[in-house]
Amino acid sequence: MIVTTLISVLVVSAIAAALAALLALSEYFLANYGPCKLTINDDKEITVEGGSSVLASLVQEKIFIPSACGGRGTCGLCKLKILEGAGPLLPTEEPFLDKAERESNTRLSCQVKVRNDLELAVPKELLAIQEYTCTCAEIIDLTYDIKLLRFKLIEPATMDYIPGHYVQLLTPPYGKSRQEVYRAYSIASDPADKSIIDLIIRLVPGGICTTWCFEHLKVGDEVRINGPYGDFRLSETDAPIVYIAGGSGMAPIRCMLFHMQNTANKRKAVYFFGANAPDELFMGDEMQQFEKDLADYRYVPVVARPPEDSKWDGETGLVTEAVQRGLKDAPQYEAYLCGSPGMIDAAVEVLKGLGVEEANIFYDKFA
Amino acid sequence: MKQSPDMQKLEQMLRSSVLVVGGFMGDDPRPVSEIIDEDAATLARLGVTAKQVAARMQEITDAAIKGLGNWVIVDAGREAMVEEARGAIFCPWSDARHFRKRVTIVKFAPSGKQVQWSDLNIHLIGMHTFFEGRGSCFRIEPAELVTFLF
Repeated sequence: MIVTTLISVLVVSAIAAALAALLALSEYFLANYGPCKLTINDDKEITVEGGSSVLASLVQEKIFIPSACGGRGTCGLCKLKILEGAGPLLPTEEPFLDKAERESNTRLSCQVKVRNDLELAVPKELLAIQEYTCTCAEIIDLTYDIKLLRFKLIEPATMDYIPGHYVQLLTPPYGKSRQEVYRAYSIASDPADKSIIDLIIRLVPGGICTTWCFEHLKVGDEVRINGPYGDFRLSETDAPIVYIAGGSGMAPIRCMLFHMQNTANKRKAVYFFGANAPDELFMGDEMQQFEKDLADYRYVPVVARPPEDSKWDGETGLVTEAVQRGLKDAPQYEAYLCGSPGMIDAAVEVLKGLGVEEANIFYDKFA
Repeated sequence: MKQSPDMQKLEQMLRSSVLVVGGFMGDDPRPVSEIIDEDAATLARLGVTAKQVAARMQEITDAAIKGLGNWVIVDAGREAMVEEARGAIFCPWSDARHFRKRVTIVKFAPSGKQVQWSDLNIHLIGMHTFFEGRGSCFRIEPAELVTFLF
């Protein structure tokens, strides 16, 4: 009886070992894609080891495609046209691609694996993206859940960006988070000093990057960013400007205001900035200083519901309500918005209702 | 009871920090199926279904969205606001659903209690009866939530 049992155990173990060996051999021979050629814009050819995602393979070659989720297929930002070799569309890509994108072979580069040679169309501006090493020079508490992080660029020592651009901040592995993660943040700094990058970051409960920024990042730490990205920028017209933002949406607007100051821009501008309470309105002194420094600029802080014992005597209600009340001759204006999708959608509706042409409404949506 | 390979994969995902800091399980040692069963039993004792709880949460979130990031009065004693971040988050159950990174914060003035949930939480509760593991960032005790909501 014991001998029979032992023989049975040995046989089962031998079969299991044989299956494991077969699996390992299959993995080696079948999933080993070897070197694969990526042809970019019919112009540049790079050779990468197959098996990784297109996004990761390009990052290894220092070609950075925007991605807010670190390649997990959750942000939909890393879209690229893969003209040849990508294989069928994956279920994880479907929610992010509309009909036109599918027809033009647009794919999520984080989801497509390099298994063979590929032909890619990479927008030229992305080929200019660089990775920067920098030092965290300063951390300033702006409100209870918003901080300004100041980074001093080390290598390269300066970044050429346009006000409105954003960068991706790399979060290293920490705690139970074992992967590097990139998150996108608008540049908030004065573009006169290209060696400094300011970011304004609001703590997201459970957020991998913001938790790292708030609880782990220290002044003096070395960090990596890449960029600049984006097409949110001031037009070159003379049209008056209405800026609308809330919370960390302050970032690109601040950068644009510095730019107007640096270039002695004479455009008329008004900035509606919304917050819950007076103590959540940050950088008020700086915003009021712009009223003195810019040719024709007005700062309109808006508090949703000031406490009853508050001495607040400014605008109250939703920021969109303040715009509705306070924006005169609206059809002449160009609008620049930054904030949550809900705020942007509401602001667009209000602006259209006031007669602002949709083509003159530009925004950086947190989505 | 031995878990199926799919449940093992799910449990691994829920315990990792791949989607959120600290994962969905916190420091709860119970398997996910046990957490779901115990929380479902709590709801049954209280006479409500997970779908009813999720529907009420969604109702409050919808009201809060109108505040564009500011506090709004939802009903007698309750105020709520939403905060949004860039990007989206996937349901770990691989049902191909993805959600805005939006958090609803609700205050109930009479008790001074405050509760928060994400859009993903509403789905996890309504669709999977999953209130997350104890010690996770978004765990809400079902009994407390029911008292808070209704």
